[in-house]
Amino acid sequence: MQKPSIAVIYFPGNNCEEETLRAVIAAGMRGKILNWNTKENLGSYDGFVIPGGWAYEDRIRAGVIAAKDPVMGIIRQEAEKGKPVLGICNGAQVLVETGIIPGLKDKVEMALAPNKNPFVSGYYNAWVYIKNTANKKNAFNSLFKKDEILHLPVAHGEGRFVTKDKALIKQLIKNKQIIFQYCTKEGKIENKFPINPNGSMLNIAAISNKKGNVIAIMPHPERAIWERQYQDFKKSDKKMNTIKIFESIKNYILEK
Amino acid sequence: MINVGKSDSELINISGMNDKELQNFMQHNAISLKAGEARKAAKLIGRNPTLTELHIFNIQWSEHSSYKSSRNTLKMLPTKAPNVILGPVEDSGIVELGEINNERYGIVVSHESHNHPSQVVPYEGAATGIGGILRDVLCMGAKIIATADPLRFGNSFGKNKNKVKYIANEVINGIAGYGNAVGIPNLAGDIYLNESFDDNCLVNVVCLGLVKEKDIIHSYAPKNSEGYDIIIVGKATDNSGFGGAAFASLILDEEARESNRGAVQVPDPFLKNVIIRATYRVFEEAKKDNVKLGFKDMGAGGIMCSTSELCSDADYGAFIDLDKVHVSMDIPPFMIINSETQERFTWISPPSFTQRILEIYNEEFELPNIAENARASVIGKVTKEQNYVVTHKGKIVCNVPIKAITAGIRYDREAKKPNRNFKEPMIKEKNNYNEILLKVLSNPSVASKAKCFSHYDKNVMGNAIIESGQADAGLIKAAEGSKYGIALSVDNNPKYGRIDPYWGAANAVAESMRNVAAIGAIPSALTDCLNFGNPEKPEAFYDFKESVRGIADAAGKINYYKTKNPVPVISGNVSFYNESKSGNAIDPSPIIACIGVMKDYSKAITMKLKKANSTLFLAGERKDELGGSAYYEIFNQIGKNVPQIDFEREKGRIYAVIECISNGLLLSCHDISDGGMAVAIAEMILGGNADGIIGADINFNYPYLRNDKILFCESPGFFFEVEDKNIKKVQSIFKKYNLLIHKLGKTTNKKSLTIINSNKKIIDLSIDELRKAWTSGFKEALE
Repeated sequence: MQKPSIAVIYFPGNNCEEETLRAVIAAGMRGKILNWNTKENLGSYDGFVIPGGWAYEDRIRAGVIAAKDPVMGIIRQEAEKGKPVLGICNGAQVLVETGIIPGLKDKVEMALAPNKNPFVSGYYNAWVYIKNTANKKNAFNSLFKKDEILHLPVAHGEGRFVTKDKALIKQLIKNKQIIFQYCTKEGKIENKFPINPNGSMLNIAAISNKKGNVIAIMPHPERAIWERQYQDFKKSDKKMNTIKIFESIKNYILEK
Repeated sequence: MINVGKSDSELINISGMNDKELQNFMQHNAISLKAGEARKAAKLIGRNPTLTELHIFNIQWSEHSSYKSSRNTLKMLPTKAPNVILGPVEDSGIVELGEINNERYGIVVSHESHNHPSQVVPYEGAATGIGGILRDVLCMGAKIIATADPLRFGNSFGKNKNKVKYIANEVINGIAGYGNAVGIPNLAGDIYLNESFDDNCLVNVVCLGLVKEKDIIHSYAPKNSEGYDIIIVGKATDNSGFGGAAFASLILDEEARESNRGAVQVPDPFLKNVIIRATYRVFEEAKKDNVKLGFKDMGAGGIMCSTSELCSDADYGAFIDLDKVHVSMDIPPFMIINSETQERFTWISPPSFTQRILEIYNEEFELPNIAENARASVIGKVTKEQNYVVTHKGKIVCNVPIKAITAGIRYDREAKKPNRNFKEPMIKEKNNYNEILLKVLSNPSVASKAKCFSHYDKNVMGNAIIESGQADAGLIKAAEGSKYGIALSVDNNPKYGRIDPYWGAANAVAESMRNVAAIGAIPSALTDCLNFGNPEKPEAFYDFKESVRGIADAAGKINYYKTKNPVPVISGNVSFYNESKSGNAIDPSPIIACIGVMKDYSKAITMKLKKANSTLFLAGERKDELGGSAYYEIFNQIGKNVPQIDFEREKGRIYAVIECISNGLLLSCHDISDGGMAVAIAEMILGGNADGIIGADINFNYPYLRNDKILFCESPGFFFEVEDKNIKKVQSIFKKYNLLIHKLGKTTNKKSLTIINSNKKIIDLSIDELRKAWTSGFKEALE
């Protein structure tokens, strides 16, 4: 079978599209960066990534304008057909603002609020640990062991998953939609800085939809594919376990 | 006050005014030319000038644009070497990276200052500093790959502490706000704080790009380009930043602060993000069609400077129709042509390709929908006749021989050695230096800058290998499918320059090279941003000349790795008038960036200790050279004996360290600079993130120098960690360069640092104590 093909969507103001495409290719897929106003048929792609950056300058609120862009309507339709959609950082904000994440009601149910960070206010870039705490395989974690730890950077000012809806939190837990949570190097989930870099509720780093084919992840897996990218590691070109997010997508598409 | 009453094409009768009248007239019109300069301009034109023409000469003959005071002195610098692809003649210099798939690649480097704007409006000033330098690199046809920010702020504990903190925090926010949004990783930077920068902060910025040699686009019109279109692209022209170049060439007057705000440009990183991507598309298309273009950043002097230099440097003239310029407000012609509105470029394109350029910017990337009235517009033509002709509403507002505009002027400034009465202080020796080391570690200029770096995006683009703060230099992967790494460090200790501008500059060059070598890269090129006071004062000009001599000596004598060639200076900038009206001038600050090349980045190492039971070595003698040191600063002293560089030994140490690292013989390595040897080893224990767990036991017998001087002198050197099996090999490499290295101690599993000299324990601190001091000093200084 042909390699799956992924469209990486560039909204004006995004800035992580290139390394995202590189990660897609490193996982053995094909991919292309498409502008928000592309005339190409998006339906011909097997999956989508919405990369990080500042889509539409984060005007009003991060992700709001891009969420209303016609291209997101198409991606929503494709997601409903079961195609995988990965939103990283600003892409995660866009998915939350469309309501696709967490996607339990037909409206925006959560927000990505400004970081609560006692060290630096606003934008914060540092390396953190997250682990795969979901007790369920989905399109993004199927190749990880339960509780497997990943090391990767966060780079955002508004990454704190919050909701006031207590019932929603219960639903997310029940549906096993909380996929990755911030933790210590050893895997302990402690709700304090810098382990939880932004004050996110329940240390949430990534949430999926109920079906598990759409995910919003705040940290940047595409910046942590090769060992050389890790600080305090050898500077080799060995692939690290983070690539399994992208390889899981590939397997999901191939198995579908 | 701008006089817009004069008709735009009317000639100003300057020949009919006496000097005083002329000076008054110009002052009234915000023109800072001297009367003699205005008359010289009229002579070059051959008649009285229009107001637009006077404004043009005002900008072109400002210090910022013309280098009128500095150019003669700058000739001292070595700018030629076999690895130079382009020296300091266009917007950026280019040094060889190496060959990838049989094609020669170059590293594009630019180094600028945005000091005055950052002092007046710190967020916007710092942000537009980044914005400007990205354009300088992009316009060479390059892919932008990294930035670095050397910053100097006032004393945040001194009498101007509130203002200093405000400026420092806003500058850092401005850099983050712009650089992060565009998505260029921050690779390096340094920060010093002292009272000489209270009234004049320094915000320098360095930017790197990557380009194939054959794809370089020059800042001049291509061959046979008569009749080519002149296209400007970007933000709609407004009155922002009008007179910015002239403003940068004046002493900062606190009272005129409000009126100076208008000379600072307004940043739009969002628009820039899109323009950069659209421009990469133009590069691709031009390559595909094999079209030769000219491309230039629009910075100081706006449309005028950009278009006149593009055409003049190719021996053409230009015709510009200001009615074709997309503007966002109704402004007079001299403002349209000279405004420094941000996020703009100029293309010179054959008419057959013009439509493609317009389509890419205006349709594919929808610039008009990205920002109000942003777009690409054709505004003129390249002409055979070498005149610069500008029309506005059908009238000629400028018609001047183009070379008169671009030739500039020069001054031979007087230099006079100032009186410098520095003395060495008398400081009592102590039994142990625990408390002192913690104080030095928490000096804001020495302490961890994590609070700053964690605000910058360091790993966007996914190419960072050693991030800012993790080692003496940053390192990025150069290109896909290659193991080349590009290293970058920026350096200058301002207090050295205060005591001795020659050695201050030489130290800056040597330290930047050591920093690059300490990760294993070969120092391959330098850039300099020369920040000084008022060049019209002979003492300030003396400091400038001495600094340039120091750079020239160090760059020429610490030769490129194992050759007789210099490490060339390929780009730079001069920023004079960093002086307040009260006469408070900054420390002479020649800030140096060193660009390093590494053939195989997998060999790179950082400063953090890697394992217990390895051996620690010192290379570089400790000397009684604590002038300008962080140690003396604790006692509010400055001293006299700045470190002096023995160029031959310095070169040997740098070569030996590079050779050791390329043979995989060192586990970690750190340059000795601010805070001396004691700080170097403490930082190696802590590592960039201050999370180290390997300690060190240092034990030596060195009775020839006082303990405080051994620990804290900033004489050049390296500290490094070696596994026992490699010790002989390391020693023999240093021996090749006639250098001895000193075995000083061992790494340990104990979470502490102990230092013993001649059986006496002079330092005994836990890692926690070191961490607390090192991580709190800078953070607290900014709170």
